[in-house]
Amino acid sequence: MLLNPGFNLTLRPMKYPAFYEMYRSAIKNTWTVEEVDFSTDLMDLQGRMTDAERHLINRLVAFFATGDSIVSNNLVLNLYKHLNAPEARMYLSRQLYEEALHVQFYLTLLDTYIPEMREREQAFAAVDNISSIRQKAQFCLRWMDSVHKLDKLQTESERKQFLLNLICFAACIEGLFFFAAFAYVYFLRSRGLLHGLAAGTNWVFRDESAHMAFAFEAVRVIRREEPELFDDELAGNITAMMEEAVACETQFAEDLLSGGVAGMSVAEMRRYLEFVADQRLTMLGLPARYGAKNPFPFMDLQDVQELANFFERRVSAYQVGVEGEVAFDHAF
Amino acid sequence: MSAVAAQVPSPAAPENAPTTMRVRKRNGALEPVDVNKIVRAVGRCCAGLTQVDALRIATKTIGGLYEGATTKELDALSIGTAASLIVDEPEYSKLAARLLATYIDKEVTNQEIHSFSQSISAGHRLGLIADRVAAFVAANSRKLNSAIEAERTGLFEYFGLRTVYDRYLLKHPERRTVIETPQFFFLRVACGLAETVHDAVELYRLFSTLEYIPSTPTLFNSGTRHEQLSSCFLLDAPQDDLESIYRKYMDVAMLSKFSGGIGLAYHRVRSQGSLIRGTNGHSNGIVPWLKTLDASVSAVNQGGKRKGACCVYLETWHADIEAFLELRDNTGDEARRTHNLNLANWIPDLFMRRVEEDGVWSLFDPKDMPHLTDLYGDEFERAYLSAEAEGLHVRQLKARDLYARMMRTLAQTGNGWMTFKDASNRKSNQTAWLGAVVHLSNLCTEIIEVTSQDETAVCNLGSLNLARYVSEGRFAFEKLAANVRLAVRQLDRVIDINYYAIPTAASSNARWRPVGLGVMGLQDVLFQLRLPFDSPEALTLSTKIQEEIYFHALTASCELAERLGAHPAFAETRAARGELQFDAWGVVPEDAARWDALRERMKEKGLRNSLMIAIAPTATIASIVGSYESIEPQVSNLFKRETLSGDFLQINRYLVADLKRVGLWTDEIRARIKLAEGSIQGIAEIPDDLKLLYRTAWEVPMRALIDLAAARGAFIDQSQSLNLFAESPNIGKLSSMYMYAWKRGLKTTYYLRSRPATRIAQTTVSGATAAGFKEAEAVACSLENPESCEACQ
Repeated sequence: MLLNPGFNLTLRPMKYPAFYEMYRSAIKNTWTVEEVDFSTDLMDLQGRMTDAERHLINRLVAFFATGDSIVSNNLVLNLYKHLNAPEARMYLSRQLYEEALHVQFYLTLLDTYIPEMREREQAFAAVDNISSIRQKAQFCLRWMDSVHKLDKLQTESERKQFLLNLICFAACIEGLFFFAAFAYVYFLRSRGLLHGLAAGTNWVFRDESAHMAFAFEAVRVIRREEPELFDDELAGNITAMMEEAVACETQFAEDLLSGGVAGMSVAEMRRYLEFVADQRLTMLGLPARYGAKNPFPFMDLQDVQELANFFERRVSAYQVGVEGEVAFDHAF
Repeated sequence: MSAVAAQVPSPAAPENAPTTMRVRKRNGALEPVDVNKIVRAVGRCCAGLTQVDALRIATKTIGGLYEGATTKELDALSIGTAASLIVDEPEYSKLAARLLATYIDKEVTNQEIHSFSQSISAGHRLGLIADRVAAFVAANSRKLNSAIEAERTGLFEYFGLRTVYDRYLLKHPERRTVIETPQFFFLRVACGLAETVHDAVELYRLFSTLEYIPSTPTLFNSGTRHEQLSSCFLLDAPQDDLESIYRKYMDVAMLSKFSGGIGLAYHRVRSQGSLIRGTNGHSNGIVPWLKTLDASVSAVNQGGKRKGACCVYLETWHADIEAFLELRDNTGDEARRTHNLNLANWIPDLFMRRVEEDGVWSLFDPKDMPHLTDLYGDEFERAYLSAEAEGLHVRQLKARDLYARMMRTLAQTGNGWMTFKDASNRKSNQTAWLGAVVHLSNLCTEIIEVTSQDETAVCNLGSLNLARYVSEGRFAFEKLAANVRLAVRQLDRVIDINYYAIPTAASSNARWRPVGLGVMGLQDVLFQLRLPFDSPEALTLSTKIQEEIYFHALTASCELAERLGAHPAFAETRAARGELQFDAWGVVPEDAARWDALRERMKEKGLRNSLMIAIAPTATIASIVGSYESIEPQVSNLFKRETLSGDFLQINRYLVADLKRVGLWTDEIRARIKLAEGSIQGIAEIPDDLKLLYRTAWEVPMRALIDLAAARGAFIDQSQSLNLFAESPNIGKLSSMYMYAWKRGLKTTYYLRSRPATRIAQTTVSGATAAGFKEAEAVACSLENPESCEACQ
């Protein structure tokens, strides 16, 4: 079973080929920070955006800069330890690289966006000195600490505790906090602002989606192997955790939008968070909690295939890793 | 589970909030938001639209406001709100466009600009409009002002008008407000290109009906002080010395500055390891030079409007070919990567034959073989084979290994376009005389023109919007003929007006006078006439359209030659011997008599232009006119366009009309189309004939695209930007595909489009809920839950 303690090394026969396939797909989507073109972002920040919007961006980037590091830490300290299958650990290793890449992306972004040294240091220390970000970080750290002491998942209650950690990072942090952050970025992009941020975020979003899919696949496997863990108590705890995450992100929205941003109100953001939370609960086989509809049409945009004009942006859709040999009789 | 969810009331209930909200008016006073007022303002733009709901726009708009927002923000928000509903109901695109048109009119009239001539004189005062054009308009203001047909702005869809507003309308240099309406803009462009009022009004009619549009540089700059109107520049390779290499950077920068796209050959520069006599060192090859070019290209911003763009061509025998193919990789040594350059292979037939017979391929240093790039066909092969026999090559490899490497580059980067040197030269009108050689194509692989150290090829482009040529179930060939002649006269005129940033471009363009008349909206025609992309009828029609365009373009050029004289290099062309493009393809057109008559007339009077036809990708202008790009199949029934002015959702409105007709345009079907990323193939309820018609580029066989391209190729004297698509490319499929393209005689191909290996999670529909969608929707729409159903409001 996936949660049985130990360090399994057996790749053949492979027990969870889905994890291995996810690892392979992830490899095909390699991107680098150097490919992101920030050239028009600074002009947008200085010339085309209001103070309220600049405030939003500064806060957002400050969150990003620390958010991915927290996720990395949890991955190393908790997930890698307890998900006992070599193919799962291959995926997690790849994920760890991607998290580092994201940190590098937001580091580059902050260096570019905030030229003033002291201000920049402030942004990196957001966890300590910006209350709305501190609250989010505390939420993450609390769930991280909750399993930190566990060396081995022996009892049912320990396994449930671990499941909550796994679900917290997948559904609440990557699946809600990050999805909210992406919404702000896509809102600005829908108005033609900050292409560099949007282009990089697009790739980050693609990675985060894959991380979430992996975690949910792990949950599905655990449910198949140990259905008894998924009782009403766990369901109640997940829903409560989700509610807390929504509240936490709402107070962040109040800070971000405090200057007044036309086209994005706190009430709508709240509704969006509820909508996303419902989706996460549904993915976990739990009843939706809010029954909210997506209020943001620009997130519809996000779902739809991109067709970029290459004069304006680099197309982000190319694959890495192509196989096969020269032939002249294949169908095309 | 979903049923339970639908009954839970939303705790935030933001719909109730707006009653206390206030907006700031233009005079600074605060005023409570009045839903009815917004409804009335939106309602005024709804005439003739039956499927839109002004109240829905008003309430959604208010939901996005904040306390103290300005009325201008409110206007902008209501436009955005209407635009966001386009996928639910395509008519919202028209509504959003009308709201935007009103917004633009307000902006223009607020500056006391009420007529075309006022707009021009304002532009002139601000230093934007050329003296020549200002004088022309001042002298003819009454006639020109009365030519304006304001209601033609109603032809725009939202995306098109938005693009025009954001990027094409002239702006006040400090205030950044636009000083012309869309109709003033079209007439301004026309006046810049016309010699008489009659011409100007004719051209204005052509543009404003969206039946034909000149290319972006012409739209940007016509009538202004910077009359750089050409799209494409093709530069021969620098000579193999330092001075020449650096002079070429300068040429590229000067040409990029005013919105031109650059093609640049690099065949003449020595390869890595070659001895440098002056310093007794060894060369690092072409990569460091291209790295410098990469930086230079991204530094030059085209008039602040878009970034510079350049494609580098390299012959397949060049010894640096493998390093060249890695320039766009996103791993490896950054010093050997050029993320901003596009790359194209300039491939001789001999290479493709070696690939086919699984032979070896020899790589040469241009320093040893400087003549290879100036030869094509049999002469090239003789020179190549004898050099090979003498062992002059730098090294050899299996032809198939190199070919596989090319395919990999295409799959990984979309770049490394396959363009064919011998087909391009053999079928060129400009290569009749010895020594005239085509060395490369351009940034978008549709221009095929000779270059040399003294000649930089130039081409100015325009495209017929085929979507506007179908009426009563048939294609309007007569209208096409008349418009082609008008368009050719306009394109020819550009050659004389155009500002040339470097002397080699001016001299070459005066000698050859090439133009590139293209098309867009072929997919629209096929949808309108209900012809699947790979049907025999589509092949026949597409070829016929191209034949007619070629015929009437040549006729118009012949008429111009009668009036103004043939282009100076006419005697050096194949046309002077009576040879036309289809002769080179071994094709005999229908109605040989009219072609024979044209040939005779041509031999006697000459042609004003050495080249007439080039099919460009039309990325931006197709979005202005709201048609599918170029000759391409649709990429998806539902897709997003990302541009400098933001993101826009596009829906296939032909599909929507058909689904409405059969009662299938429902929330559920919409969600399923979205889930399938714009494909309808997996939706069982949709009838088979619609599925066949509305396949996407990923679903139509590429063989059909190549066949269509080859058939119309007989009537294209330059080339076409032919994108190919592969959902999940592998070497076997790609190598088969490009071998076929070569065998069919294509001169060039363009991007290989593929899709990402993993996807972003869809936020607004999810796989998990989609299965239970039907049930959830049924509950949500029932009368017991009126609040939860936005569709019924």
